[in-house]
Amino acid sequence: MSDALRPLAPWGVAALVLAVLPFIFASGAALTVMNQMAITIIFALAYNMLLGQGGMLSFGHAVYMGLGGFFCVHLMNWVEYDNLWLPLPLLPLFGGLFGLFFAMIVGTFSTRRAGTVFAMISLGVGELIAACSIIVVAFFGGEEGVSGDRTMGPTVFGLDFASQQEVYYLSAIWLMISAAAMYLYSRTPAGRMANAVRDNEERAEFLGYSQRKVRFMSFCASGFFAGIAGALFAINFEILTEENLNLATSGSVLLITFLGGAGFFIGPIIGAIVFTLLQTVLSLYTEIWQLYLGILFVATVMFFPSGLTGLIAIHFRPYHLGKISVLTKPYALIALPALGLALASASVLEIAFHARHAALGDEQMSLFGLSFNSHHPLPLIAALALGALCIWLLRRQLPSFREAWDEANYAGGPS
Amino acid sequence: MSAPAAIELEGLSKSFGRVEIIRDVTLAIAKGERHAIIGPNGAGKSTLFNLITGKYHPTDGRVRLNGEAVDQLKPYEINRRGLSRSFQITNIFPRMSVFENIRCGLLWAMEYKYSFWHLVDRQPDLTRRTEEILSEINMSDKRDTLAGVLTYAEQRALEIGITIAGGADIIMLDEPTAGMSASETEYIVGLIRKVTESKTLVVVEHDMGVVFDLADRISVLVYGEIIASDTPENVRASAAVQEAYLGTALEEEA
Repeated sequence: MSDALRPLAPWGVAALVLAVLPFIFASGAALTVMNQMAITIIFALAYNMLLGQGGMLSFGHAVYMGLGGFFCVHLMNWVEYDNLWLPLPLLPLFGGLFGLFFAMIVGTFSTRRAGTVFAMISLGVGELIAACSIIVVAFFGGEEGVSGDRTMGPTVFGLDFASQQEVYYLSAIWLMISAAAMYLYSRTPAGRMANAVRDNEERAEFLGYSQRKVRFMSFCASGFFAGIAGALFAINFEILTEENLNLATSGSVLLITFLGGAGFFIGPIIGAIVFTLLQTVLSLYTEIWQLYLGILFVATVMFFPSGLTGLIAIHFRPYHLGKISVLTKPYALIALPALGLALASASVLEIAFHARHAALGDEQMSLFGLSFNSHHPLPLIAALALGALCIWLLRRQLPSFREAWDEANYAGGPS
Repeated sequence: MSAPAAIELEGLSKSFGRVEIIRDVTLAIAKGERHAIIGPNGAGKSTLFNLITGKYHPTDGRVRLNGEAVDQLKPYEINRRGLSRSFQITNIFPRMSVFENIRCGLLWAMEYKYSFWHLVDRQPDLTRRTEEILSEINMSDKRDTLAGVLTYAEQRALEIGITIAGGADIIMLDEPTAGMSASETEYIVGLIRKVTESKTLVVVEHDMGVVFDLADRISVLVYGEIIASDTPENVRASAAVQEAYLGTALEEEA
């Protein structure tokens, strides 16, 4: 491959994967998960323009996605009832413009300072708009939200977007466009200075840049892409409610970005994929999936503050040194007890949850294919014992694992 | 009438609450002059620096750059008028590479401003100029190192690189050799001399050797007032300066 094409390779692979995914996971449920994933990825990437690229911690970014989405539902209704001519594939653009418009208003006062001041203003604005959703019923539809029908617009190449698959490809194309645009933005002077202001706002000011204007631009761009995500949400679910604006949604995008790794462009993508999978797949199997998500988040922040992407990235050095094979055996040795510990911990949580919350008289529970009485102490003791055993095994492996890790990262020959 | 001075301070005062830090400072620094500001700890050197560069606004008096009043402007507006500064505490972009640090110093000056339609990696002129500056500060081999992991002396050199990158006519350096060993100091002074050729240089410095070596003229700041502003020889000879500040330090130098 020539050098000029090399940077394009990941994008080509991504496009290819997006194109073939519906053939591998063809069920309606899988398509729904993938659509949601695409939306979440765009939203998280937009959020990371603030957090990772610009050093702005926002607690209210759901507002821009939500407003873009609400606006698009209204557009769909105008298409349906007032003969507005707007092909559905262009809808995300208008969602983005509405997000941009609102970000420009809020950005004028919220980007004056970064840090706590910015975070508090974002929280306040977030709560304000979420509260408005109950008050301004004409736009937000009150508690039941607003809903529309995406299939009423002019058809495009014979497509009316009634099927999930058509919506998937629409989302995938907007995902590619948005991700590429956000990546390219980070490589422009405005994007580079967003990094500079994040690192050291004072220095940036003495190089001719107004920190406020640099932040304002990132904020507006982020609002734009969040609006696109909102529009795709509107297209996919055809309904928006207060939930799309509230603090929980704003919090989960922060969680997603952090989980994936805010320091990497690809971080929010990985975070969004993992989060959506856990949310949709794990919730099929357990009622306390949010607890697991919370544990994963806390563990990530504590042990891998640079996120899951950071966890992958620390393996690049051993790989480039040609020593990745040094790690194979230690990883294999800790894999089993680590898995055992995870299962044992989950068992303890599930048993405790079942014992406390199952219907009265329902004492039988099944876990990992085993059926037992959750009120009997024995299963709990067994799970605790398994956990303790795994911890003991892990601790035994730790010194040799650490040694192997140091060896794999050491540039010299075998010592 | 001759051309206006590069920097002109007129009756400049700055108070924080009731505490007067700078008292009625009047000083003109000609174009192309290398001017040093010295004074004991707490004399107000850094405050004076921050007044000139727009970080603080004066309580009273005027700051003029090339004849234009700038005392109410913001740092970035002053920078755009051709003044660039470094900081007493190392002030770089730690999570960006050395190359990117320098490039950030060039973006505004090379008219890229807030553009979001240029890709920085596709601008040959920008890349070339960045590399020229890297080689000027002898850091070409550190090109892709993260600035945050450089040694202290390297970070100081990088900061000088960022400061001069934009091609400003007036360079202000706040204690560029603070905390350096003798050999590092010698190196940095040589570097400063090289990169500020034919520019106006204002430097705040503690190290007397550096000052007398580098400067055309020295101002002595004591308790917010300039008690002498003259050539190094005359400052060295001045009884008032010796009494107020230099005394022992000068004897050590001699």
